[in-house]
Amino acid sequence: MKRASLTLALALVAIGAGCSSLERSRSLANPSTPAKTLASQVCSNCHGLDGNSISPNFPKLAEQQQEYIVAQLNQFRNHRREDPPGFIYMWGISRSLTDDQIKGLAAYFAEQKSVSPGSGNPKLIEEGKQIFDSGLPAQNVPPCSTCHGDHGQGNGQFPRVANQHADYAVKQLTVFQQTEQRPDGVAMKVVTHSLSRQNMEAVAAYLQDIPPK
Amino acid sequence: MIGMDTRGLQEIRETPAPTSIAAAILAVRALRKKIARKLIAGTIAATVLVPLLLVLAPEEAQALPAFARQTGQNCVSCHAGGQFPELTPYGRMFKMTGYTIGERALPLSVMAVVSSSRVRDTTKSDNPPADFAKNRAVTFSSASLFIAGKVTENIGLFSQITYDNYAEQAVAPDGVGAGKFKGHTNADNIDLRYADRFIDSNRDLIFGVSANNNPSVSDPWNTAAAWMQYVPVPSPSSSQFVDGNAPYPGYGSGGNVAGLSAYAYLNKMLYAELGGYKTANRGLSIMSAGINNAGTTKLKGTNPYWRLALTHEWGPHNIMLGTSGMIADVYDNPEDTSDPTSTHRFNDKGLDAQYQYLLDPHTVTAQVAYMTSKHRYPDSVANQPVNFVDALGNPLANTNTSDTTNTLRAKLTYVYQAKYGGSLGYFNRTGNTNTLNQTSGFDPATGLITSDPTGSLGAAELSTRVGGNLSGNPATRGFTYEAFWTPMQYVRVGLQYTTYSKFNGASSNYDGLGRDAKDNNTLFFYVWGAY
Ligand code: HEC
Ligand code: HEC
Repeated sequence: MKRASLTLALALVAIGAGCSSLERSRSLANPSTPAKTLASQVCSNCHGLDGNSISPNFPKLAEQQQEYIVAQLNQFRNHRREDPPGFIYMWGISRSLTDDQIKGLAAYFAEQKSVSPGSGNPKLIEEGKQIFDSGLPAQNVPPCSTCHGDHGQGNGQFPRVANQHADYAVKQLTVFQQTEQRPDGVAMKVVTHSLSRQNMEAVAAYLQDIPPK
Repeated sequence: MIGMDTRGLQEIRETPAPTSIAAAILAVRALRKKIARKLIAGTIAATVLVPLLLVLAPEEAQALPAFARQTGQNCVSCHAGGQFPELTPYGRMFKMTGYTIGERALPLSVMAVVSSSRVRDTTKSDNPPADFAKNRAVTFSSASLFIAGKVTENIGLFSQITYDNYAEQAVAPDGVGAGKFKGHTNADNIDLRYADRFIDSNRDLIFGVSANNNPSVSDPWNTAAAWMQYVPVPSPSSSQFVDGNAPYPGYGSGGNVAGLSAYAYLNKMLYAELGGYKTANRGLSIMSAGINNAGTTKLKGTNPYWRLALTHEWGPHNIMLGTSGMIADVYDNPEDTSDPTSTHRFNDKGLDAQYQYLLDPHTVTAQVAYMTSKHRYPDSVANQPVNFVDALGNPLANTNTSDTTNTLRAKLTYVYQAKYGGSLGYFNRTGNTNTLNQTSGFDPATGLITSDPTGSLGAAELSTRVGGNLSGNPATRGFTYEAFWTPMQYVRVGLQYTTYSKFNGASSNYDGLGRDAKDNNTLFFYVWGAY
């Protein structure tokens, strides 16, 4: 009877191996898994199939700048971006991705249509719009729009911040301000230097529901 | 989980039998222990470990438990607030897609539990060293080996083999005090599955098949019977009142049976599963490896299990509303299945719901599970006279032909930074009275509670202290308070306090010998580690 169980196990393995298809693979270590397959079978679990994640625990990737996504995946892969959610979730995901897969994934998410996760407190949003469009001259904070674009759409290495979950944006602003965990964000280190928690929450509330152009 | 698997079995075992059968049961128990000793870990190692190790050839090894190695992610990705085994939405997807996300890695993990139980009152007992064995002692209670991981693109495995350091206890030489303990190893949860996922912008369909040994072990929600109770329960009698041994919804078949179920999850909204369970013998004996014949649940034919759940996710919140059920025909005597009418029929129907709020650094979980269980007895057990009489000396009613019990469990948990947590749990089992449940009572000759531990009064049947039931009613109710700390992702330290306001149908004097429900209140401390 032991032999029967073993035969059963081996038969299942054989059947499984026989009908595996790369088209629906969840294998993160196979260079031939197509990027689109990875996006739908793996990344979608957290970031959403179209990059519009539901939970604010996971940043939205829809319509994100391709160049920025490539840079971030590289930083996760080589452990340069090391804020805790980064290493908890993304180091493992990215560890065996090839450059081609990264490029493909970036292209896939850049092509998606971003939608707002919803609006916040109008007073906070108004305050945030002020910071985004004009900065806070008294605190030496430049307008965010100079780098992230008039509508937060981003450009190349400057990430899209429009429609990003406010909770995620506040956490990142805090990471830039208080840690060295995102070394490629030196520009943001300067920008966030004198932002208060209230400023961050205001600008993040504005970003989340920024009006499209 | 050790406490869980055999729940159904245990329920049958613990169902007190009329004296005529009682002696036979005692004999069977003794025999069972003898046979159990012969089954050693080696058998399991040979049948399970070696072939699987060959199949799951390791490709990479890191100092992390198996699934974390496979995805390269931290435990909190899949376990809500780092609480093992409660799953996050991603953890559920990982499970439903057959444990196949990631890359193959060393598929082995180990887990061990050290614990200590302290029962509030140990004086109201005829034999405290036996009734509260290891009370207050720090014990190495159990250890598990997990073989778990991605096997192919579509196949993955979660399997657990558990060693219980206190599995068996010999009778003390002179009948007083505690006998020697002996360890034992057997197959715990096993879930081998095949899964596929068809996802595009029009629909998202996951479907799969699971070969498993415990109804609902395949379930991705933690209000399922196989998963709601999560702290391994030590076997010594001082742990008989810890939360894991207090009522939890469970299926009549218990674990260590062999089942096959097919499931589908559509558009992250509707989950449906249908399965059938049989006795884990012959070619399926791997599902009950390490459990001897007398201890193996013997099912008649194929027994259906079903599950439906509706789910929704919004922002950091997610909710599940579900229902499940099983009909199981379990042979009264696992060693004699010749009479097809000698079966207990369990008809269990459950409702459960789970809400999670997951937004770093906060984790909130609310769980509710309710199960109504109908138990129909075989003729040899139903409608039998009992030896006790009532307080006035009148005979008691014959045993029932069937019983209904309802079990409610609710739990609210908060975890901060996946490190510091606390929970409040409530349990309430109610049910009809059955003289079969009576393990304490009045002696027809003396009109007194039959309390004589030496038996020299010549009572037809002796009342049981501590675990005794005078009312014949199964009602048990109470709360469990827990505080826990996860200093590292693979270590959890917990302190549970379980209080009883009702036990075996009564608040006070439930055993007829002066023991009150609150005497059973238990403080339980555990350190759980995995690697
Ligand atoms: C288990 C959940 C999970 C999965 C699966 C996952 N991610 Fe992530 N991802 C996260 C989290 C959490 C963050 C935020 C990390 C941080 O704050 O450092 C993140 C961040 C990112 C970022 C940076 C976004 C930004 O705005 O800076 C990119 C790009 C990314 N993920 C791409 C992917 C890709 C591509 C996949 C699939 C191959 C994937 N992720 C799969 C959880 C996940
Ligand atoms: C000088 C150019 C510059 C200015 C001005 C600027 N940013 Fe940035 N920002 C960047 C760059 C570059 C990054 C990407 C950093 C990296 O790669 O780690 C970034 C990243 C971010 C991110 C993280 C995005 C993500 O998906 O993880 C947020 C949020 C953000 N900026 C918000 C702001 C806000 C709010 C302001 C105005 C107060 C602002 N930025 C002003 C250049 C700028």
